[in-house]
Amino acid sequence: RVSSDGKPEKFQPPPKPVIIDKLKLREKRRFLSPEFIPPRGRTDPLKYYIERKDMIQRRKVFNIPEFYVGSILAVTTADPHASEKTSRFVGICIQRGGKGLGATFVLRNVIEDQGVEICYELYNPRIQAIEVLKLEKRLDENLMYLRDALPEYSTFDVNMKPVSRLDHEEVPVNKLQVRMKPKPWLKRWERPKYNIKGIKFELPESKMREAQKWSQPWLEFDMMREYDTSKLEDKIWKEVSEGL
Amino acid sequence: MMPIWTKSGKRHSVTLLKVQDCHVLRYVSKEESGGKTSKLLVGGKNGSPFFRSESAMEIFKEAGVPRKQKVSTFNVTDDAIIKPGQFVDVTAKTIGKGFQGVMKRWGFKGQPASHGQTKTHRRPGAISTNKAAKVYRGKKMPGKMGNIYRTSYGLKVWRINTKHDIIYVNGSVPGHTNCLVKVRDSKLPTYKDCNKNPPFPTFFADGDEKLPEDLYDEEVFQFTDPSVTYA
Repeated sequence: RVSSDGKPEKFQPPPKPVIIDKLKLREKRRFLSPEFIPPRGRTDPLKYYIERKDMIQRRKVFNIPEFYVGSILAVTTADPHASEKTSRFVGICIQRGGKGLGATFVLRNVIEDQGVEICYELYNPRIQAIEVLKLEKRLDENLMYLRDALPEYSTFDVNMKPVSRLDHEEVPVNKLQVRMKPKPWLKRWERPKYNIKGIKFELPESKMREAQKWSQPWLEFDMMREYDTSKLEDKIWKEVSEGL
Repeated sequence: MMPIWTKSGKRHSVTLLKVQDCHVLRYVSKEESGGKTSKLLVGGKNGSPFFRSESAMEIFKEAGVPRKQKVSTFNVTDDAIIKPGQFVDVTAKTIGKGFQGVMKRWGFKGQPASHGQTKTHRRPGAISTNKAAKVYRGKKMPGKMGNIYRTSYGLKVWRINTKHDIIYVNGSVPGHTNCLVKVRDSKLPTYKDCNKNPPFPTFFADGDEKLPEDLYDEEVFQFTDPSVTYA
């Protein structure tokens, strides 16, 4: 091959093919649902062991998919007062609370200009199915500020189709910055206590500086508040993966 | 405290009680004790042998059993067994709150926070009338709250785990986590007849029949079943 100069080019070997081993990537990524990790306290670990056995038992019969705060879910529950005995609700998960069998998650949606939030228990036997329509993470772990945001950020189509995604890829993080309704808000979300990164604050600089007065920079260095869960998580992951 | 669901879809809260090394220490028959029923001296949880007096140690030596931390008497009839669906009374020492004022201890309303109140917001106010000219015995006043024995009656037993000896009891129970608790058949008049005739005789450890790992009440939803539907 002759280059534009007219002189013969040095032979460039073709680039090596990069092999992505999809099975290995899938194994590397492991997700342990946050309600399995026991809270810090003085209770007997036997109690958590028995709770976990029950949780694994329920998961064998009923599939609870992996989801994070900010993903869009559709839940069908058995309802004795509904016409078809089932009721389906679609919404974005704003918060996941509780540990063990009492773990809950709150779904929010705006239906006909009315904001609706429903708190479901993960292990409630009345739940027939949980489908993940869109799996994604957001910048915060608690999206309660959506109540003070413009309603367009909480509206989701009830007949939305599930978004397909590959199994081995990382969960996408939606770096959406949400615009808020004018103040007053339910909570002062600009304060550093809430540590919210997903709001586009349109407040003047003076207000933001005043809010920083309530910051507690010593909190992150407080050693008594540290709760190292890595070893616990490893043990619990082994238990759970053996059970399922 | 854990949630438990029934087959109809209702949710109840449940406390877990662990039976830890309970042994019968001494059996006092009806004639000896002088009461109406025979008495059984039962010991609970294992404890260290160094902190108790010699006389107490003798009781344990006679029974041939390791030293117990808590000893209490039970009035026992001929048949006694705990099974799911039974009703039970649970006694324990409540959480000690220390010296508490009258508003927390007895639920007094106190005084308003503003409108001219001088240094009077959580005080009892008047303690007696003019004519009485004395304060009656038992007047509710500030003092040490908690750390006394209290019972919660009529708790239903939902589930028993025979492998780890755990009883799932409906609702809440007095006391902090991991405290010693005394469980007894209910003495409420509505449940008087429930405990008279158990279906099968008391289970002996050296018997041939083996109990399944989990015993459930009929209404309890077991996690091996599919989800609840109202068809």
